[in-house]
Amino acid sequence: MDHTGFHFTPVGGGSALLEPMAGLDIGQAERLIEEIIRRLQEGKICRLYYDLSHFPVIDQGYFTWLNRLAGACKAANTRMICVNMQPTAAFALASLANLTPQFETALGLEESGKN
Amino acid sequence: MAQQHPAVKLTNLLKPQIGDITTEIEREGQTLFGGSNNLLSGEEIQDFSVELLNLFVSLLSSKDPYDDSSPAFHALEIFFHGLSRQTMERGGRVEDLVRYTQFLHRLFSETVNGDAKMTVKDARELLLFLSGVFNELTMAIFRAYLEEKEKTIFAQESELREVATPITEIWDGVLTLPIIGTLDSNRTMLVMESLLNRIARDRSKAVVMDLTGVKNIDSQVSHHLIQMVRAVQLMGSDAILTGIRPEIARALTSLNIDLGDVTTRASLSDGLKEAFRRMNIHVSSHPA
Repeated sequence: MDHTGFHFTPVGGGSALLEPMAGLDIGQAERLIEEIIRRLQEGKICRLYYDLSHFPVIDQGYFTWLNRLAGACKAANTRMICVNMQPTAAFALASLANLTPQFETALGLEESGKN
Repeated sequence: MAQQHPAVKLTNLLKPQIGDITTEIEREGQTLFGGSNNLLSGEEIQDFSVELLNLFVSLLSSKDPYDDSSPAFHALEIFFHGLSRQTMERGGRVEDLVRYTQFLHRLFSETVNGDAKMTVKDARELLLFLSGVFNELTMAIFRAYLEEKEKTIFAQESELREVATPITEIWDGVLTLPIIGTLDSNRTMLVMESLLNRIARDRSKAVVMDLTGVKNIDSQVSHHLIQMVRAVQLMGSDAILTGIRPEIARALTSLNIDLGDVTTRASLSDGLKEAFRRMNIHVSSHPA
């Protein structure tokens, strides 16, 4: 059984899809980042898609987590692309002051594949 | 012998004339709301005339007729409120409702004045009581009038909002949003909500926001604009701002608004070209 709180699926072409589950504890950010980077390096992944389809709202805390993970990915020479962001989440995030995302965004996996 | 309450005296005065009074009320109702005015049917006028008189007599027979928070008084207010709404919804005028209230006031006052046995003190007290009641009922009419007006304004605002966010899919995956007028917080929220939902629904890759119709800009409007661009980018779409007039460009710099990470183009057509370029779409004319 996976205790990490996320699904990590290589999708080919040096890309992987990360699907966070309800059990993902961003309070354990250090441990999670290490685990994700380890998997990226093992799979020689250069593009990580972070699926946000199950997040109707993203608050400051979760945004910080995404930014930290994106920063770590950058350090490991991997692009992190958040996909399937919900309109409500984008709406809430856009109203946060000093918003500087470290990650890229795309509508979905298919739409970003050509980049 | 115990002193009789003036309200009881008025009830006693009304009782023998109840038939005549009902006829009078009905006749006036017919003049103002029936016939060619066509606001209420003859049956409706008959029903409300009887109900009105019943409610009025209930108020007079209540424990304290002077108490404007009593259930009897409240029932009379609700009746007038309902009557006002009903007639105004059908195109009735507030003036006619006020005239109707004034008529009722006059009718009951004449009943008091017509009684030879009534003492001056009692008559004065009853007339004051009637003035108080009918003033409150006139206010109930105005409350209903205002509610009706607010409802109309709300409906018009809602229609205006719909035409204020004309999001069009001008090409597969390309949306255009001409922004006209001022962007206040409410409108920004509305436009953003429609735009983001549209992006999610159509999987649109680019949004061209045209500001040609924006006459002036202040810090709040520019903040809302940046917020919209950010939200579009977070969804994974490209946001392109077009039609920035010279005075808007000047205002943006004096407001210290940094459009560094926002793609801008001079005109809507340039914006569309940029969107096509990003999507690797080539539009060319073929010789016939």
